[in-house]
Amino acid sequence: MRNKINIYLIEYAINSILRQKYKAIFITTVFTLLIFLLTAVFFITNSLRYELDSTVDSLPEITIQNIKAGRECDIDVDMVDDILGIAGVNDAVARVWGYYYFKNGGVNLSLVGVDEYEKQYKKSFSNIVEKFDLNSKTPSMVLGSGVEKIFKDSYYDEYFNFIKPDGTLKKVYIAGVFDGATELESNDMIVMSKELLRYIFNIDDDKATDIVVKVANPKEVSMVASKIRLMFPNTRVITKQDLKISYQNIFDYKSGVFLALFIVGLFTFFIIIYDKASGLSSEEKREIGILKAIGWKVDDVLKEKFYEAFIISFFSYIVGVSLAVGYVYIFQAPLLKNIFIGYSDLKVSFELPFIFDIQTLVLVFLLTIPIYVGATIIPSWRVATLDADEVIR
Amino acid sequence: MILTPEVLAILIINTTLAFFAFIAFILSVKIYLNWDLESSSTLQYKLEKQSYLTATIIKYIFIVKVPLFLFFIFTLDKISNILIGAMCGAGVVDATEYGTYLFVLKIINLYIFAYWLALNSEDIKHENQPYTKQKFGMFIIFFLFFMVEVILEGVMFSAIDVKEMVDCCGTIYSTSSSTYIADILKLSPYIIVGIFYTNFLLIILFYFLKRKYIFSFLNLIFIITSLISLIAFFGTYIYQLPTHHCPFCFLQKDYDYVGYIIYIFLFVGTFFGMITGFVETSLEELKKRYNISLVFNTFYVLLVTSYVVVFFIKNGVWL
Amino acid sequence: MIELKDINKIYEINKNHKVEALKKVNLTIKEGELIVLKGASGSGKSTILSLIAGLSKPTSGEVIVDSKQISKLLDNFSSVYRRDNIGFIFQKYNLIPTLSVKENIALPLVPLNPTTKELEQKLDKVMDMFHILHKKDMIVKNLSGGEQQRVAIARSYVNNPKIIIADEPTANLDKKLSLKFIEILKELKSLGKTIIVATHDPLFYGLEFVDREIEVHNGSLVL
Repeated sequence: MRNKINIYLIEYAINSILRQKYKAIFITTVFTLLIFLLTAVFFITNSLRYELDSTVDSLPEITIQNIKAGRECDIDVDMVDDILGIAGVNDAVARVWGYYYFKNGGVNLSLVGVDEYEKQYKKSFSNIVEKFDLNSKTPSMVLGSGVEKIFKDSYYDEYFNFIKPDGTLKKVYIAGVFDGATELESNDMIVMSKELLRYIFNIDDDKATDIVVKVANPKEVSMVASKIRLMFPNTRVITKQDLKISYQNIFDYKSGVFLALFIVGLFTFFIIIYDKASGLSSEEKREIGILKAIGWKVDDVLKEKFYEAFIISFFSYIVGVSLAVGYVYIFQAPLLKNIFIGYSDLKVSFELPFIFDIQTLVLVFLLTIPIYVGATIIPSWRVATLDADEVIR
Repeated sequence: MILTPEVLAILIINTTLAFFAFIAFILSVKIYLNWDLESSSTLQYKLEKQSYLTATIIKYIFIVKVPLFLFFIFTLDKISNILIGAMCGAGVVDATEYGTYLFVLKIINLYIFAYWLALNSEDIKHENQPYTKQKFGMFIIFFLFFMVEVILEGVMFSAIDVKEMVDCCGTIYSTSSSTYIADILKLSPYIIVGIFYTNFLLIILFYFLKRKYIFSFLNLIFIITSLISLIAFFGTYIYQLPTHHCPFCFLQKDYDYVGYIIYIFLFVGTFFGMITGFVETSLEELKKRYNISLVFNTFYVLLVTSYVVVFFIKNGVWL
Repeated sequence: MIELKDINKIYEINKNHKVEALKKVNLTIKEGELIVLKGASGSGKSTILSLIAGLSKPTSGEVIVDSKQISKLLDNFSSVYRRDNIGFIFQKYNLIPTLSVKENIALPLVPLNPTTKELEQKLDKVMDMFHILHKKDMIVKNLSGGEQQRVAIARSYVNNPKIIIADEPTANLDKKLSLKFIEILKELKSLGKTIIVATHDPLFYGLEFVDREIEVHNGSLVL
């Protein structure tokens, strides 16, 4: 434990690995692949979680939806006054918004209505209201930068024709482009005046899509939520915490499935390594016999085998992690990303933010390298305790 | 049940270690019952070979256990973010009835595995390997300790209920709680600190006198006096708050992770101090142990004292 | 001084097939002696060599070298004994063919983790002594038979052992190289080494610097 590191032994170990090229390449490739998959999954979930957390954080503390026959429907705007009366409530705003399916672009767009005289519940909206004039005579809207591109691809440069529920068209001019706080925002959002939106979706003036509530003290959110539920039993009251937890659960579920598969993979790998390490060619056995005959102790052979195992596994670790970084952050994780996002209809592309997370790296390290080294213990021991006598016979 | 990837990783590794420990256990029993150096039977020959395997496995377990323990502490910290009320690892440890026992057991196991390795390293230096039966017999017991730890860890993690509120370290380590910790904290800090420094000075004294059994014993006590003085007195200077006694919080980033350094110094120093008495060895090796122990213990004392001194210099008063 | 006391060695090939390699062998070799063990293959000469080298253990009896009982040593200690005291020249040389001359000779020293300077000194000295210094970086498998043997001898000598053991050293050499090898043996003897050679090469018989020729026949010494 306290001896200097034996460089010659390490050199011999490297040499020994290189002498069995094919076996080494096979093991390294499999192990690297395993590490690569594991790290990539962790990276993806970390980045997604970060993205989602930022998105969720910007959501209002409480969202109230009207439920009729088990489904969402429009909510009465005058509920807002009753809610403002509850202690702890800072603000309550009736929101008008909805989804619009743009067939040509193959995307579901989020249409959000703002009232420029109201206090906006989201900073990005107040920025938009400041910058753009949405109440001018011509009906106009502001697009998220991603939406602008989608429209441009369909040659809608200056305006767009919305199809109302009754089949008639409503032409709306594009007043400008905004950059949302997160990728998700910019990519599918269009902002226009509430009046215009109500017109497009055919929503009555005294109705809204939902009501959002701002509560000053985060500790009081659940209390306020329960009060609202008592006041309006027909509604569904969702808190930010609920959203966070449900997203977390989805993540954990998917991560869990993946980890379960990983464990199976790891176990199989253990068996493979054990088998490979045990299958000694007569050449290898002879070599160890020679070493012991010229004075190497069992402990020396074991140490050398350990160096071999560590070098291979560490090398695989570095390569696997590097590949994962490239795959996830440079190539944006094709295939795997879709498993975790699951937005099947929304062909929205967004970039996974680069999060440098030491814990993930340590986690992957601890999950893989000790297992590999462990798998080599018994085979290495068998080799090291071979009878040197057989060598000279 | 709390099943983050970190917890899952810990459980996977624990299972692997337990698997190997079990193999080592079986072999230890065989060796303990049948070892006979004088015999030239095939059985003895096999046992000799197997003794190498057992020693290798135990080395492997220890080498993995050390970073795993650090990772465990780190995981506790991470979980504290999910549990309501917990601000650091202390809250997580306290969340179940098993937490404290598990933690103490883990530390004990680190010491006893390290002890086994020291004993083994001494044993294989002699041609007649005098401690073989003894060390394998001991491992039989250590194995049980280890398995209790593994099982307890699994139970603890599955018992943590995310929806339950837990106490923050402020409540656990305060003078107002009804635990024995409170009783200790109620003692005058002068007494506690006095005992601590006296213990240290005695260690220095017996280092020069080279009385290894007393030195060993003093180091054992030093663990206790250090921990108590750390919680009661030195911790408050690290936090610069007279009421903050938690031994976990200074493992966090806010305090530059100094906790890890403090505990590592303490562990290494006291461990080498204790094995001077518990493992017979050559004179040269003994000197090395004395030195390592003194150096690390001194670093520990200097480090915790520095927080007090720096505070005084900066602020002109004591807490 | 080497002593074999009442040595019996039985090899169990399988349950039904046992080979009695040595029967009640008693042998004493004084320090500095050069002994030649004569006998056909399978007579037990190689077994005697491996017993002295601590590579195998007797079924019964004792092997004592310099007052130390080496027949009961545990694996690790027997390796250390070999490393410090024995230089073994194998019949098949047993070099690692893909390593260089220098690397092969350095092998016994690797676990000791010497300083580079120390290592270079020892290596150069021994390579020079056996005349392969000029080929030190060549890969062993590209060397001739005679050169390979010199590497094997150099490797056996790098730790400056007291006892040199050679098992059929000239089996793969022509007469010229065999005579060269005998010269080397003479030189080693003059350095005070205890040397034991097992061979059925008649070139070794009747040499004047050989102290004793012992015949081994069917597992016993012919006196």
